[in-house]
Amino acid sequence: MSVVTLVEPARADPSLKGTLSAAEQRFGAIPNFVKALANNPEICRPIADFMLESLRPGQVDWGLRELLVLRMLRATNTDYGVAHHERLARDLGVSPERIADVKADAWRRSPHFTGPERTLLEFVEQVAVDANDVGDDLWARLNAQWRPEQIVEVSMTVTTFLMIGKMGDALGVDDPVLFAKAPQ
Amino acid sequence: MARLPYIEPERADPLTQGVYEKAQARFQMVLNIFKITGHVPALGAKMWEVFFTILQDGHVKWPTKELLILKTVKQGDCLYCVTQHEVVSERLGVGPEKQADLIGSRYRTSPRFTEEERAILALNDEVTADARRVSPETWAEVKKHWRDDQIVEILATIGAYIQVSKFGDSLGVELEPVFYGRSSVLFREEPPKSPAAARHIEHFEHVSRKAAAPHA
Repeated sequence: MSVVTLVEPARADPSLKGTLSAAEQRFGAIPNFVKALANNPEICRPIADFMLESLRPGQVDWGLRELLVLRMLRATNTDYGVAHHERLARDLGVSPERIADVKADAWRRSPHFTGPERTLLEFVEQVAVDANDVGDDLWARLNAQWRPEQIVEVSMTVTTFLMIGKMGDALGVDDPVLFAKAPQ
Repeated sequence: MARLPYIEPERADPLTQGVYEKAQARFQMVLNIFKITGHVPALGAKMWEVFFTILQDGHVKWPTKELLILKTVKQGDCLYCVTQHEVVSERLGVGPEKQADLIGSRYRTSPRFTEEERAILALNDEVTADARRVSPETWAEVKKHWRDDQIVEILATIGAYIQVSKFGDSLGVELEPVFYGRSSVLFREEPPKSPAAARHIEHFEHVSRKAAAPHA
């Protein structure tokens, strides 16, 4: 149950109209997470915008990014967002095997991932455990296999959804119907 | 050591240049953490809007948010964020003695904190430990002192600094020369748990000494 009041669109600050409408279009419904943030329009707007910007095609394949987000959430014991990112990954055509293999450590030996994909998963796992300790060997592989803008995008995306996950968990919000429609 | 090149203003695309101009106006310099986000202009611009919003008086006063920021980034052993926000906090009136009392649970008994501050620092501890298990007692205490709009801002501050500290550390973003020679209050009081973070502090001290006496 949410710790704060969920602000329905009819009661929301008029300045949030565009933000709520964009969220509804993208998710198929306005997430309860966004309704909770709507208690504070100045905070709601940039966080919802940042979240929406992180959910679109980018420098790294979107489906792979969803798997990286899932790995981050699992590795940090974060619940909010896991079901949504699994659903989104499926909608984006990611195989059930790949989704299952990021639940725990199977990705390390899984035939469903390429070497460069495993390097990114190793990076995300390290960021989850201790971001200070991304070692020289891992950096050598990251730089050989991925471009700088891809590495920055991955780090930014997984940490963004860690932020959202931690906030969602603390707020006690649940969003069972997100991504009921396939992403546009 | 930065693992990727910074995007300097002359190489930045127009969107990123706009972010840099805003950063320059707000912080009197374009910090390295901004320059690393120049690799992903659209995402970077959206990310910084979150921080431009948090780093000012809002529904919660900026100095109060600095307490949450320091507590969060110290928990993550982020030398970059701790050092910078010790400086910002002091500028906003949160002196070194109060900063030092953020270590562990000292804030619970320190006379330098109000009941309102203690309530959200306890929340901060529980969110960074496991956000799924914030106790009803902690929420009751928070709700006694803070409204829903403020709770959203408090959690956004904690969440955003979990995000940016991990982001910056993962890419090896370095403290700028303006911070050379500065010794962190919080890390002096309590060394980092992470051996890698301890090595970063040693490296920073070495670089600072070298900059102060280049021919020594």
